Amino acid sequence: MSKTLFGLLLRTLVVLAGTAFLTFALLWNAPGDPAAAIAMARFDALLSQEVIDQVREEVGLNTSFWPAFWSWLGPLLCFDFGNSAVTGRPVWPDLWGAMTYTFPLAFAGLMIGLGVALPLAIFAAKRPGRLSDRIAVAIASLGAAIPAYWLGLLLILLFAVQLGWLPAMGARTPAHAILPALTLGLGVAASLTRIIRSGILEARGQAFLPAIQRRGVPEAAIGRDHIAPHAAIPVITVFGLELAFLLEGAVLVEVIFGRPGLGTFLVSAIAARDFPQVQAVVLLTALVFVVSNLIIDLLYRLIDPRIGERDA
Amino acid sequence: MVSGSTVTKLALRVSDLSAMRSGRTILYPTSLNIAPAERIGIVGSSGSGKSTFGHALIDDLRRQGHSVAQVPQSPDEALDPLRSMAFHWQEAERALGLKPGTADREALFATLKIEKGDMRKRPWGWSRGMQQRFVIAMALIGAPDLIVLDEPTSALDPVVAAATMQLLDQHLTEQNIAMVLITHDLGLASKWVSKLAVMQDGHLVEEAATQDILNTPQTKAAQSLVAHRNWMALPC
Repeated sequence: MSKTLFGLLLRTLVVLAGTAFLTFALLWNAPGDPAAAIAMARFDALLSQEVIDQVREEVGLNTSFWPAFWSWLGPLLCFDFGNSAVTGRPVWPDLWGAMTYTFPLAFAGLMIGLGVALPLAIFAAKRPGRLSDRIAVAIASLGAAIPAYWLGLLLILLFAVQLGWLPAMGARTPAHAILPALTLGLGVAASLTRIIRSGILEARGQAFLPAIQRRGVPEAAIGRDHIAPHAAIPVITVFGLELAFLLEGAVLVEVIFGRPGLGTFLVSAIAARDFPQVQAVVLLTALVFVVSNLIIDLLYRLIDPRIGERDA
Repeated sequence: MVSGSTVTKLALRVSDLSAMRSGRTILYPTSLNIAPAERIGIVGSSGSGKSTFGHALIDDLRRQGHSVAQVPQSPDEALDPLRSMAFHWQEAERALGLKPGTADREALFATLKIEKGDMRKRPWGWSRGMQQRFVIAMALIGAPDLIVLDEPTSALDPVVAAATMQLLDQHLTEQNIAMVLITHDLGLASKWVSKLAVMQDGHLVEEAATQDILNTPQTKAAQSLVAHRNWMALPC
């Protein structure tokens, strides 16, 4: 077990190092003059070449790739994300502020998605192929087909404009989070429903189930003790992908609902070519992915240790 | 707990069991009497309806209020690969209405020689022979009236199979438990049962003492089974 844990951690480090390098290289080699973009964001006017060159020197864009990379990576190893190229303020407090908006939103979306998908999938799998199942699958497919930006606008139209129940824009009160979280959650629910349903159906086809039924074990116990663990394996796999969807969706949803958060943070940072900010967001995202995949891997091994034995 | 041997067990009887699958009759009305502690073999070629009859027999006897245990063909059909052996054992106890830990596990495990198995492991952490014997031990919890074994040794190598049947045989004799052995292997059946029921195309075509069927098979199905038994020479 400690050996597999070591391997997983090593993999995590490799992925993070690769992400750091690739992000930096892509940003460095992106077309256009980054110094001009930064100067634009700072002074918000048409600028002379002199000012641009001054910014270039100040931000450290006048060196070559490798010195620039190392001077960014060095502090990063001590968890120092550096200062924003535009405002000159440290990146971390601003990034943390954005996270406090986005992570609760993503978590709420995930919970709503799970809360809708689980009962719907269990209901659908009760009688596969029947009308109830088809309706549930149709709802799920519809949910997957509707893009978040359209669903978000529809929800605003209904609950904020027509009914006036909920605020639409901004993030001042917790009530402001309801519509964005719903928009995210329904998208998650759509894909999760189909995965959980097929997971249950597949689990129900396991060869050992008839014997356990014949042994006299009650249906509810069979569902809890045998079907649920088998159905959980594909669902856990998809959870990692859901997370990608959530972060990606959160960026869109934040823009639609005018919420601060990682989405707005990232969009303005890219527009201004604010290297330290963009890199911080990308690395953070990579870290979230890698850590959640690490957790998923460990969960796998907990449910079915054969998975660990096979690739060891 | 009252041990099985002190209780006078009743004869088991099923009558006119039948089964359909997707509109086709796969078991025509079939009856069978099983005397207390009797050993009966249900034999026939593949698709003759012997497993179907076995399942119908279990369901019907359970409805009559008898305790009947079943051992499927392979441990893969009896054990969940994601749950530990201890979990399976407790689940079987609960299903019989016993409090977990009250069945005499040590004695059953000693009987089937699987005391050394690690109960925390999952089925695939045990050898297949041990898994199958564990399944048999589970079936024997609470001393049932009847144990139905469906090709119990087809997943085992001949030596392990013979040893398993030997251990099981002793236990059934001590506890007065009847046995129905479903198999296409006439050699196996003739070694362990006193009566044979021959199945063909969903019908029970011949029923007689084992020796009578081996010596003077009456029907075509029995004759072809006797003619093609190649395993009589094996130690089991």
